[in-house]
Amino acid sequence: MGGTIHVENVIKTFKGNVQAVKGVSFDIGDGEFFAFLGPNGAGKSTTVQMLTTLIKPTSGQLTVAGFDVRKDPEKVRLEIGVALQETGIDPDLKGIELLEFQARLFGFSKKSARIRAEELLELVGLTEDADRLSGKYSGGMRRRLDLAMTLVHQPKILFLDEPTTGLDPSNRQTIWKEIKRLNKEEGTTIFLTTQYLEEADQLADRISIINKGEIVATGTTNELKRTFGFDAIFLQFETEEQAQKAHYATNHLGRNVELVKNELTIFAENGTTLLVELIRLLGDQQLYPTTLNVQPPSLDDVFIQVTKEQEKEGVAYE
Amino acid sequence: MNDQKGSFVGDTVVMTKRSLITILRNPLIFIPNLAISMFFLFVYEAGLSGIANLPAFEGANYLAFILPVSIVSAAIGGAGGAGQALVKDLDNGFFSRILLTPTSRLAIVLGPIIAGMIQLVVQAALIIAVGFLLGLEVAGGTLGVFIVLLLTLGWGLAFAGYSVGIALRAKNAQSAQAGTFIFFPLIFLSTTFVPYELIEAQWLKVAATLNPVTYLFEAMRTILIDGFGEPWPIILGFIVIGGLCVITITFSAISAKRAVSTD
Repeated sequence: MGGTIHVENVIKTFKGNVQAVKGVSFDIGDGEFFAFLGPNGAGKSTTVQMLTTLIKPTSGQLTVAGFDVRKDPEKVRLEIGVALQETGIDPDLKGIELLEFQARLFGFSKKSARIRAEELLELVGLTEDADRLSGKYSGGMRRRLDLAMTLVHQPKILFLDEPTTGLDPSNRQTIWKEIKRLNKEEGTTIFLTTQYLEEADQLADRISIINKGEIVATGTTNELKRTFGFDAIFLQFETEEQAQKAHYATNHLGRNVELVKNELTIFAENGTTLLVELIRLLGDQQLYPTTLNVQPPSLDDVFIQVTKEQEKEGVAYE
Repeated sequence: MNDQKGSFVGDTVVMTKRSLITILRNPLIFIPNLAISMFFLFVYEAGLSGIANLPAFEGANYLAFILPVSIVSAAIGGAGGAGQALVKDLDNGFFSRILLTPTSRLAIVLGPIIAGMIQLVVQAALIIAVGFLLGLEVAGGTLGVFIVLLLTLGWGLAFAGYSVGIALRAKNAQSAQAGTFIFFPLIFLSTTFVPYELIEAQWLKVAATLNPVTYLFEAMRTILIDGFGEPWPIILGFIVIGGLCVITITFSAISAKRAVSTD
């Protein structure tokens, strides 16, 4: 079965009838890098907690590494590594002690726990701080130690719940690099949740956008951009009057056209092909923009678009 | 499955060791409690020993009479620490980290409890040692000291069950701390300073009769002052503490199950 995840119609209702997850389904293949992208309170962490045996689903099927999460939680725990949103570190233990402790709980002998701990400290660049109390570590160091703790037993699947939230760019890069390496070199399946579009864009093979407990879109970053994103053609004119004229002449183009003072933005599915038509129209009117550029869609646009449509129509895309 | 079962003892040892390290690195966990217990011993012995001349004491040494109060108070500190240690783990996310390992769920709760027991036995032994320095004589001899420590352990286990149960239910340090304030009525609404016959207020007599700690005091005092000639108060002490353990450990086990599997 390897590092696969299968989720079918999973619902989680908390006390007081709060529905955090409303019927979510998805499949993740062995060795895949999958990201769950969504704002705060979208249901990302709840899904992670269900997949990692920390909370039970209200209904639905969750299979992790071939084991039913509800029936075989012990077997699931042996196959997964989990870094939760909050790091799980006892500040009274030293870096090396925490890693040894973690290894012992995964059944390592005293000797092999020590060896594994030293390897992992090296891996996350904490060798020099091994004998310091983890409570004295900086936020970034604590994150790195937390990641090392999740890797002790070489899990097939790694769950990372917002692993870089609150980190400075340099620590974020370190974590990204290590996650990428695990996925590419060791073939570890990765389930990442994030609020950062950039993070999902940079790292994941496939992304599901989750909002208000429902998956609203799934695909590779390019697929999502093609389906939901728009190119933006940005024009700047010398005067507001010229911009108004241009607005009048190009009003019918693309999805919509926005005018702000002497600046005009045209949103369209295929901006580049539209350029020829646009230039002709402007030439006819003797209008010459001082600036013109075309911006491809970003995941930001996709995200905003998809969540907006969900609110408007109450429809879920798959 | 066999692997899991085989490692239960190992898991418990690892969890206990870690709790002990945490206790030793935070001397403020045990020093205040130990100091207060010693303070009880010195101050009450110094201030109240004169009343041992009253006929109701039948010539008993007041030091031997007051020693159990000091021991019981020290035990509450050690046992209460187990609950507070769990709350700390819940607060800093370490509890979830442990739940995500294949560790036996029982070992997770047992670790801090056993560490708390070790702490309280050491504290009680220290207090008894200080008692000897002050001139304590134990009628029950070495065996007597051992039985007193055993009673202390039982009492500590009962209180640990209570404090762990409260901690896992409340899941915050303040509530767990507040829970230990039951310490005051337990220690003082009893035959704390004088034998039962000398308690004047009727309400205090009723409270002392209902308070399980009274039976613990009686058992310990019997061993320290009279030895094993009259075994009934000792047996009664073990029965009451045993019953109490069953109740509070069950309470903590139910709370632990809830905390471990959140629905």
